[in-house]
Amino acid sequence: MRRLLILAAVLSLAAPAARAADDLDALNARLDALDKRVTRLEDANAVERLQRAYGYFVDKAQWTQLTQLFAKDATLEIGGRGVFIGQAHILDYMHGAFGPDGIKEGQIINHMQFQAIADIDPDGVHARQRMRAFVMSNGGWGLPLYENAYVKEDGVWKIQTLHGPFTMYTSWDGWAKSATPNTRPDTFGEPPDLPPTVVYLTYPSYYIVPFHYPNPVTGKPWTPGTQEAGAYASPTQVSLDNPKGSPPKGGAR
Amino acid sequence: MIRRLAFVVAVLALATPALAAPDPAALKARLEALRARVERLKDHDQIENLQAAYGFYFDKALWGEVADLFTGDGAFEYGQMGVYVGKAHIKRALTLFGREGPEFGKLNNHMQLQSIIDVAPDGRTAKARFRGMVQLGRANQPGQWGDGVYENDYVKQDGVWKIARLHFYPDGFTDYDAGWTKSAIPLPGPSAAIPPDRPPTEIYRGFPGVYIPPYHYAHPVTGRPMTIPEPADSVLGRKE
Repeated sequence: MRRLLILAAVLSLAAPAARAADDLDALNARLDALDKRVTRLEDANAVERLQRAYGYFVDKAQWTQLTQLFAKDATLEIGGRGVFIGQAHILDYMHGAFGPDGIKEGQIINHMQFQAIADIDPDGVHARQRMRAFVMSNGGWGLPLYENAYVKEDGVWKIQTLHGPFTMYTSWDGWAKSATPNTRPDTFGEPPDLPPTVVYLTYPSYYIVPFHYPNPVTGKPWTPGTQEAGAYASPTQVSLDNPKGSPPKGGAR
Repeated sequence: MIRRLAFVVAVLALATPALAAPDPAALKARLEALRARVERLKDHDQIENLQAAYGFYFDKALWGEVADLFTGDGAFEYGQMGVYVGKAHIKRALTLFGREGPEFGKLNNHMQLQSIIDVAPDGRTAKARFRGMVQLGRANQPGQWGDGVYENDYVKQDGVWKIARLHFYPDGFTDYDAGWTKSAIPLPGPSAAIPPDRPPTEIYRGFPGVYIPPYHYAHPVTGRPMTIPEPADSVLGRKE
C-alpha cells in the first residue's frame, strides 16, 4: 500500500513534466515548419534579386561580375548560339558577344528583368525562375525570355542554368517593319560546348518556352504540342514577307 | 569566408534545438529570431510598395502625395537638377515637371521596376535599386522615351517606411520618333527659378554619355563590395 502511494506520488509528479516536454517538442516542430516556410520566402526574394542583379550587370557591361553570379559548372544558352559550359566559357561568351568589361561612351545595352515567377524546390537548394528581359540597345528592341535554374551552395543562390530563348528582336523601326532572325552557332565567333537544346525561329515565328510551373489555378502542367514552335512544327515557313505561312516553293522545308 | 561562417552558424542554429533538451528560453529565442525574419520580409514588401506608390503618384503629377512619401528632411534628386531637401521644397521642385495634377494630353509615366531591396538587419533603414522606364508626352508634340536607375535610401519612422533620399540617375532621354540611335536629349541642369538646396551629388550626362550608378549592394554571390570605376567620358573629361 505504502509502495503504491509512493508510486502514485511519483507518477503525479512525472506526468506534468513529461507533458511539458511533449509540448516543447511540439512547439519546436512547429517552429521548424515555420522556419522552412520563412526560408522559402527569403529564397524566392534572393533568386529574384540574383536575376535582377544579372540584368544590372549587363546594362553596364560588367561581364566578370556577371560571370561570378553563376555556379562553377553552370551553363548558358542565349538565342540560338548553343550551350556554353562553366564560368570561364560563359565569360568568353560575354566577351565575344559584347567586347571587354566596361560600358563605353555611346553604348546602350539595357537588359531589364521583369515579371519574375520564382519557385523554390521542396529540397530548398534548387529553384527555377521565368523572367522576361526587355532589351534597349544600340540595335533596337529585344525580348529574350528566361527559364533559368538556380542552386543554393553554402547558403548562397547561384545561377545553375541560364536559358534565354529570344521572342523578338527588332531595329528601332519597330516590329511592324523589321524582325531580326534568331542567332545560330555559326553566326557567332565563340563555338559552344554543345549545340542548341532547341531549334526555333523568333518573331514573326514563335516558340513557347516550356513553363517550369503548372497552371497556378488548375495545377495542371502545360504539355508542349505540335504548335510549340511555329518555325519547325509547321511545314510552312512563316516570315514577314509570308505572314500566312503559305508553303514555300519546292514544297515543305 | 564570412559567408561560409555565417552559413555554419545558421546550420548550427537550426540543428541545435533538435539535439538539445527542450528549453523554454531557447524556444523563445528561436521564436524571436523567426519573428525578426518575418518582419524583414514585410519591410521588403512595404518598400517595394512605397516605391511603386511614388511612381503611380508621379505619373499623374500628384506632387503633394509624392512629397508626403518623404521624411521631413528627405532629399530628392533627379538627374542633374540638384538636391531638394524637405517636403515643402520637394513639392515645389516637382512643379518643374509640370503643374500639380493630371493634364489632358500629358503623359508622365515613371515606372518602378526590377527592385533590389536591402533592409538593414535592425529593420530601421533600407536601400534599394529600381529601374525607371519613362514615357513622356504632350498631345501633338513629339513623345519621349527615357530610362534610368534609382538608388534610394529609406527609413522607418514610427513603424512607417518613408523615403529618406531618392536619386534617379537617367541613362538618357530620346525622341520617340527618332529613337536613341538618332536622338539624345540632354539632361536638364539645376533650375534658376526653383534653385536646389545643393548641387548634384554626382556629375554625369545622359546618353551617349555613360555612367554607372553606384550599387548599394555587395556582389550577390561573392559578397564583395562592388567598386567599379566610372567609364571615360569625352565631354566631361573623365578618364577611365
